[in-house]
Amino acid sequence: MSEANRNSEKQTDTNRNMSSKADWPNETYAGTARDTWRIGNLEMTSRFFLGTGLFPNPFVQTEAIRASGAEVLTFAIRRVDLESAEDDSILQHLEPGAFQFLPNTSGSRTAEEAVRIARLARASGLSDWIKVEISADERTLLPDPIETLRATEILVKEGFTVLPYISDDPVICRKLEEAGAAAIMPGGAPIGTGLGILNPYNIGLIAEEASVPVIVDAGLGTASDAALAMELGASAILMNTPVAKAQDPVGMALAMRLAIEGGRLAHLSGRMPKKRYASASSGLQSLIVE
Amino acid sequence: MNDSFIVLGGGIVGLSCALELRLRGGDVTLLESGVCGGQASGAAAGMLAPYSENPESPDEFFHLCRESLGLYPEWQRRVREMSDKDFEYTECGSLYAAYHEADLLALEGRLDWQRQHGSSGKILRGAELFKAEPGLSSSVVAALWTPEESHVYAPDFVEALKTACLKAGVVIRERLGAVEPVEWEQGIEVWSAEYGIEVRLTESGSDMQSADHSGEVPSVKSGHGVFRADRLVVCTGAWAGGLSDLLGLRLPVQPIRGQICAYEWREERTPVKHMVFCSQGYLVQKTNGTLVCGASEDVAGFDTSVTERGISRLLRWNKRLLPALEQAEPFHRWAGLRPATLDGRPLIGRLERAERVIFAVGHYRNGILLSPVTAKLVADCAEGRSPQPWQQAFRPERFGMPAASLR
Repeated sequence: MSEANRNSEKQTDTNRNMSSKADWPNETYAGTARDTWRIGNLEMTSRFFLGTGLFPNPFVQTEAIRASGAEVLTFAIRRVDLESAEDDSILQHLEPGAFQFLPNTSGSRTAEEAVRIARLARASGLSDWIKVEISADERTLLPDPIETLRATEILVKEGFTVLPYISDDPVICRKLEEAGAAAIMPGGAPIGTGLGILNPYNIGLIAEEASVPVIVDAGLGTASDAALAMELGASAILMNTPVAKAQDPVGMALAMRLAIEGGRLAHLSGRMPKKRYASASSGLQSLIVE
Repeated sequence: MNDSFIVLGGGIVGLSCALELRLRGGDVTLLESGVCGGQASGAAAGMLAPYSENPESPDEFFHLCRESLGLYPEWQRRVREMSDKDFEYTECGSLYAAYHEADLLALEGRLDWQRQHGSSGKILRGAELFKAEPGLSSSVVAALWTPEESHVYAPDFVEALKTACLKAGVVIRERLGAVEPVEWEQGIEVWSAEYGIEVRLTESGSDMQSADHSGEVPSVKSGHGVFRADRLVVCTGAWAGGLSDLLGLRLPVQPIRGQICAYEWREERTPVKHMVFCSQGYLVQKTNGTLVCGASEDVAGFDTSVTERGISRLLRWNKRLLPALEQAEPFHRWAGLRPATLDGRPLIGRLERAERVIFAVGHYRNGILLSPVTAKLVADCAEGRSPQPWQQAFRPERFGMPAASLR
């Protein structure tokens, strides 16, 4: 997203808060206003990117995608049959043209390997969006920041829309943005752990500083994690395991969607200040000035 | 065990449960609406591959699969001896083929935990790989070899199981049409739409014939069958969801069609020595001179027809795994319905709300593999033994009640 776009999004937020009384009560609630966002040329309503791996079967996968309302789906390039992607064991079940695909380079350990398979994915006609995912080791799958930055620089120059998966470090996130990343995707915790947001301070700082969308990717476990990420100012969430490995993946997809919408709305609506002691919500005390 | 049992469903799970219950002293009648092995069991490729089927983590489902693989050598030997029928059981190991260097990270992670759980696998590359499997495409950069995996020729194995059941004294009734439990609280009573036929062994004991039977049916109402027993074991695979309303229980079981094809693969062809998997499917050579390629996963309701799209997809990727398939045409194409559940795990165990009823359904891609362990768990359950804590993952009541009856 360009600086101008981002400013216009901020402007919209401001308008919501400052709008004239004549509009009230119909158009000033954040929840009733049109709340879209963009990456590149794609304008989106959903703030939920869903991974297509690990689902128990195609029926559950299709139903979960529907319940999630996701417009963007992600998958590992290495798992896809690139020579006939429409035949692929997973992609064949998706309605053609209904989704923006975000192929990822998972499994790569170097920038070169990530760039190689990103080019294969684009050449197959899947998408020119790419999630750079370069892991430092197989136990934690933590992203390698040096290789991720290198791959991002190369792929941006080649005209890809690059969304790097990265640690929750505000400095490397800033550098990726400077390298031309279309969005920044910090992890809440290591992939597939379900530990939630381990460092809310950092995620909040990244969201505050970035002028491109921040998408919290990896490590979330349940709906409250997704809501927290949105309350911290993330533009969107990317997840796979918490939905696919739930006992009812369809129910969990809907739960996540509602949590994301709830968290987003809470972020836009401005939470009350925290207080040290109780204050009655009715009665005289509430009128006493401290 | 002195109880009498009705086993609903004559697929591999029903036959295995019937045999195990009979061997532990139960009086067992198996009811099948069509013919035994006529659905998914007869269509399956018979892969016994817990490591290839569970690439992610050693969860409860992996443990169930692995325990069943461990039971197979003794179980298949017993079925072979009891039935006096031959069937293929081949301990050949498997290869999981990778086309990208980026696959290796996942394969190394998988190998790391699987070696702690009984695999002696390793990653093969270059000359070592092509020596192990000479027909593989040169575009395969590496493969994970798992020596512990094996396969069985499912149609013959199911026939042998059926014979073993009959010889052990299980009563098998086929062609019953719709079969429905009508009582399960005071005892079990099951009605069938058709009168059906009882399957019997021939004089030689080596083959079966179906004979009309009238004497032993408890009561017959205008061509319907009525069957009674102490306990009910539900093994109706993809059809199990139909009991949801009757039992007031949420049973999210869906049919997922699998389309398979087979090639003639005689001596002049380079043998395929392992079961070979890739992200798109698998190839396995059988001793009857065929090479089997599976399988699609289609959402198509209960339709078992073979489609052009389903098979042509297999034919496109399999040539890139085994180039010799460029000059081959499958001679046989077929399809079966896998029973898929909402969380991918089977439903195994006794109902808390109806303790005479035991479930054993929803085995999806692994019914052949999981049949011995399922039979063991069902028989343990019938003998009143509590499941181990990790087996709670398969509780049939875990999905709760139908939405309408939720608080």
